[in-house]
Amino acid sequence: MDKQQLSRRAFLKLAAASSSGIALAGVGPLRNIAAAQDTVELTFGRHWEAAFRPRQAEYDEGFMERHPDIKISITYNTWTDHNNVVPAWAAAGTLPDIVYVHGSRATPWAHEGIIIDIHDLAVADDEFNVDGMWEESLRLYRVNGRIHALPYDHGPIILGYNADMFDAAGLDYPDENWTMEDMASAAAALTDANMGVYGWDGNFSLGNSANGFFLGAWGATNMNDDETAMTMDTPEAREALSHWYNLIHEEGVAPTAAEAEAFPNQNVFRAGAAAMGHLATWDTPSMRAQASFNWDVAPAPMGADGTRATTSFGSGYGITPTSDKPDAAWRYLREYLSVDGMIFMWSLSGRGSPARPEGLEAWLTSDPAPPNGQYFLEAMFEYATTGHPYSSLASAQVSQILDRESNLLKLGEASVDQVIATIMEEGNAALDAVADDM
Amino acid sequence: MFRRFLRPISPSARREERIFYLFILPWVIGLVVFNAGPVLGMLGLSFTDWRISLDNLSFIGLENYAKLFDDPVFWVSVGNTLYIVVGRVVFGTAFALLLAILLNQKVPGIPFFRAVYYLPTVTAGVAVALVWIWIFNPRLGILNYFLKQIGIQGPPWIYSSTWVKPSLILMSLFQVGPNMIILLAGLQGVPKELYESAEIDGAGNWAKFRNVTLPMLSPVLFFVIIISVVGSFQNFTEIRVMTQGGPGESSNVLIWYLWENSFVFLQLGVAAAVAWIMFVILMALTGLQFRLGRRWVFYEV
Repeated sequence: MDKQQLSRRAFLKLAAASSSGIALAGVGPLRNIAAAQDTVELTFGRHWEAAFRPRQAEYDEGFMERHPDIKISITYNTWTDHNNVVPAWAAAGTLPDIVYVHGSRATPWAHEGIIIDIHDLAVADDEFNVDGMWEESLRLYRVNGRIHALPYDHGPIILGYNADMFDAAGLDYPDENWTMEDMASAAAALTDANMGVYGWDGNFSLGNSANGFFLGAWGATNMNDDETAMTMDTPEAREALSHWYNLIHEEGVAPTAAEAEAFPNQNVFRAGAAAMGHLATWDTPSMRAQASFNWDVAPAPMGADGTRATTSFGSGYGITPTSDKPDAAWRYLREYLSVDGMIFMWSLSGRGSPARPEGLEAWLTSDPAPPNGQYFLEAMFEYATTGHPYSSLASAQVSQILDRESNLLKLGEASVDQVIATIMEEGNAALDAVADDM
Repeated sequence: MFRRFLRPISPSARREERIFYLFILPWVIGLVVFNAGPVLGMLGLSFTDWRISLDNLSFIGLENYAKLFDDPVFWVSVGNTLYIVVGRVVFGTAFALLLAILLNQKVPGIPFFRAVYYLPTVTAGVAVALVWIWIFNPRLGILNYFLKQIGIQGPPWIYSSTWVKPSLILMSLFQVGPNMIILLAGLQGVPKELYESAEIDGAGNWAKFRNVTLPMLSPVLFFVIIISVVGSFQNFTEIRVMTQGGPGESSNVLIWYLWENSFVFLQLGVAAAVAWIMFVILMALTGLQFRLGRRWVFYEV
């Protein structure tokens, strides 16, 4: 094989060409090389459904254009797995820089060191204006008075109804004067057992995202405000539970939990087989996409004495302790969770009502928002309160007990008295067990 | 010093011995690193207040175990586990044996049926569970549809505290493929002369099965029972996908209880204690089976 040698003349030619090439290219590429060396990669643990990921990608591309020194890398978990995957990441020491934090997880995750205290970052940043967020939404992320994560959405639970069914039955739509008794009467009138149509979807829940809707009109609560004791053994709570139990099992205007299994995602209302069900702002995109009927919303019905109450809840983002670039993480969050960021991500897309009131008007104009979407806003401003549990270290245990007992009530496998007795006994035991750790 | 009491080993035997150790080395390393190591690590961690971080662990002695024994849900999960394990092992083994006997017959199309019965085993567990959710659906499920055709109002299956455990056992019957294959291989290993001798002695089908097949198959059955017990304890996918331990706590088995303590309640020290209790129960049950096996397992000499 011939050995090719570089002659002195050829070498000089090559060197000259290279030098002029670099000179012609100017300093741009060199600066880019320097920038590339300084680029930090921000990693995320999120859970968006596939349909919403393009919106996230669009936002992130815009962010990276504005901040060329930050590169974004996302791991998507499923909604059902995210809350289990994050603790596993934490135990393995492989947490990303920023994680999605459901409102019910902020306290235990802060306590376990999965998310860091970002109070000073949030409060010191005047432009970010943390005070412009709903107090009810921020409440979820304050641990011992310090902010550990920031909300992106927060929405109340109000009444959804199938307008076509009301029209067919010649009934007036639910309105702000409706009481729980009005709802029960309409549910009875709209039920047609032979046709497999129910007046109410039977989706009863005592958990943190809906209990206010099912208990509040009677003046009942599932637990006290500081989450140190369950409060279900009151006449008001018993009356509320009896009301919903009777609608399912005595009057038959709603399916049992077993019967609801026949419908996709157990959502009888969305499937068009129930005239009414409770709805949150985060439910409206699925309603818009899947409901093949005209639907709208009304305020949460009042109790007999005119009490109107409901629950609000939401989710947010936090920075993890293993992040070695908390400054870059904060730069992302302060834009993402700003008014403009929220309007782009959640208001205009209609994915959920943003955690800042300034973004709500834009949400009302989005496609998924129902015609009377202002009732959501009214609930947020006037009567919704953040649903318990969320601030106790036993939140997960208490939630599990509340969900389990709600399900037994819906199945008809436990009476109202049994459900209350179990919640009081097991719930208080779980709260007592963590009392010293709080 | 013991070498002089041992028989001298020839160079070829020594080489064979070295090759033997070389071949089993990957498995031994895997066992130590991925099984024995974590098992022992879990034992240590079960005596700590481990939640998420391994930093600042405190030794709390038997507190996690005491907490478990005081928790009524733990005992419910122990009861549920034993119920499901006994059901799965008894009915599963009997069904696998029945299938193996049927598929051991000399009739046309047997390979097709063998493949069909083995198919659920090679299907992903989550997919199988999702299919069974629909099979068990009280209103739309095919099971209640067939029951309705013969005038029976079907139960709510997995949506009932009473029926959920029998439902899970029923479902497990369709996953007996591996046991069926093992038993089929055992059946085919029974010497034909034994059946011929029995026939000469005037034995009918039942007598041949009881006095020839079962004794000759007993070592294989013993193995199948051991692995079925272990497998039934570790049955997580169906619970996670189909019932999440419910309704109430009626399908909350130990493996689900362990998972909830780990990833929902973030009590990893408690979960480590549950893992060890499961390990001890399994070892005890296996030991018991070996002891009982002496009475019914027949080994050819």
